[in-house]
Amino acid sequence: MSVDWITVIAQIVNFLVLIWLLKRYLYRPILNGIDAREAEIAERMIDARRAEEKAEVAESEYLDQIATLQANESAMTNSARLRAEAARDVLLADAQELFEKERTDWKAHLEQEGHKYISELHKTGASALLSLTRKALDDLADETLEERIVAHVVTRLVPISEELRKAASGSTEAIATTRDPLPEAARERLEADLRNVIPNMALHFETDTEQSPGLILRMGGAQVAWTVDSYINGLDAILEEHLTTGAKIGAQGDGW
Amino acid sequence: MELTPDTTVLFQVWEIPVNATIVNTWVVMALLTGVSMLTTRNLRPDVPPNRWRTMLEVIVQGIEGQIEEISRRKSHSLLYFVGTLFLFIFVSNLLMVVPGFAPPTASLSTTAALALSVLVAVPIFGITSRGLGGYFKTYLEPSAIMLPFNIIKEFSRGISLAIRLYGNIMSGAVIGAILLSVAPFFFPVLMEMLGLLTGLIQAYIFAILATVYISSATAEPNNSNKIKDIP
Repeated sequence: MSVDWITVIAQIVNFLVLIWLLKRYLYRPILNGIDAREAEIAERMIDARRAEEKAEVAESEYLDQIATLQANESAMTNSARLRAEAARDVLLADAQELFEKERTDWKAHLEQEGHKYISELHKTGASALLSLTRKALDDLADETLEERIVAHVVTRLVPISEELRKAASGSTEAIATTRDPLPEAARERLEADLRNVIPNMALHFETDTEQSPGLILRMGGAQVAWTVDSYINGLDAILEEHLTTGAKIGAQGDGW
Repeated sequence: MELTPDTTVLFQVWEIPVNATIVNTWVVMALLTGVSMLTTRNLRPDVPPNRWRTMLEVIVQGIEGQIEEISRRKSHSLLYFVGTLFLFIFVSNLLMVVPGFAPPTASLSTTAALALSVLVAVPIFGITSRGLGGYFKTYLEPSAIMLPFNIIKEFSRGISLAIRLYGNIMSGAVIGAILLSVAPFFFPVLMEMLGLLTGLIQAYIFAILATVYISSATAEPNNSNKIKDIP
């Protein structure tokens, strides 16, 4: 066992060199790496803490928003209900208006149909009345309706001949208007009777399909007439009374 | 049978003999430096650590932790010195299992060189930490009469370091060689395994003692809070 001092010196040098080499290639890189990683971890921890704080702030804001929404929920519900009620009222008003319009239209249509029916009934009634009257006259008195109408008008001319002359002063022509052309015999009789009442008065015959069956005699401002309108009106009154009575009975039967 | 590799001269440089101790030391140095360079050549924060880097980090942090536990402070200079002592001794002892390789720590010259390094490092760290007067004042404590004893203590610590390491490693190598000649199949393997454990323990003891010596030289005797960090 001996110490070789040259080796001792060489080993001291070797050891110092090894210290330098390991410091250069081992300790510093490793320590720097550890420090860098610790710094990175610390930085990430700071970032994570910031992110956590940010998340907490976001959570707080979110919770505030939820609280606000919950607080406004009843108000929003009331508002929505009021809007819905207003919309419902508007819709009901529109529907009511539409219903009223429909009812008015329907009523007008019914009235129009009623008028049309009454007019049709009037015409049919008049025609039937004339037909029956004409047949009855023919069967019972062997006369035509037109002859009896003319005779009736002439009969009415006689008592008012003075008034007619005054009313027809200045007029030289009388106009006899019928719905259908008068038979020749009736015409001749009317001309003769009128000449007896008012001499020098020319008679002119006209037809008007819109006129009621009968005879209208116009002389200047005076007029003598006989039509079936009054009879038809009487018939209408009878029918209307009958219809009214039937409607009342129907309504009572329906529980109205 | 040679008790020390110092006697095996491999070649001469300018008539200076280069023995197996020096060459094997170079091998250990090359191995340590090479592994360190290969491991730390691509050391960037964005590169994930591999197994070698993790192993070196564990070793370096383990040494740093041991130093911190003993000296109660962080010191990179102490880490460089003590860490190199530990790694050099440990790798040298580890290579004892390689056939034909004589560990440099089995040479008294190497252990003496390491002990001398510690012997010199203690006052250097002490003076750096406490100042020249502050350090040498410790030799007069607790009284001036203790000066010769303190000086003897310093040298005896160095000698004990050198002899302890040399004796353990040399004896392990010698016992292994003897057993190899007596019972070549089982006992040498067992002894080599024990030798590895002994080598690790000796490296640990040497480094720890060096840390204790340096720490005691740098620590204030009464107020440890006023101790300056070792640079």
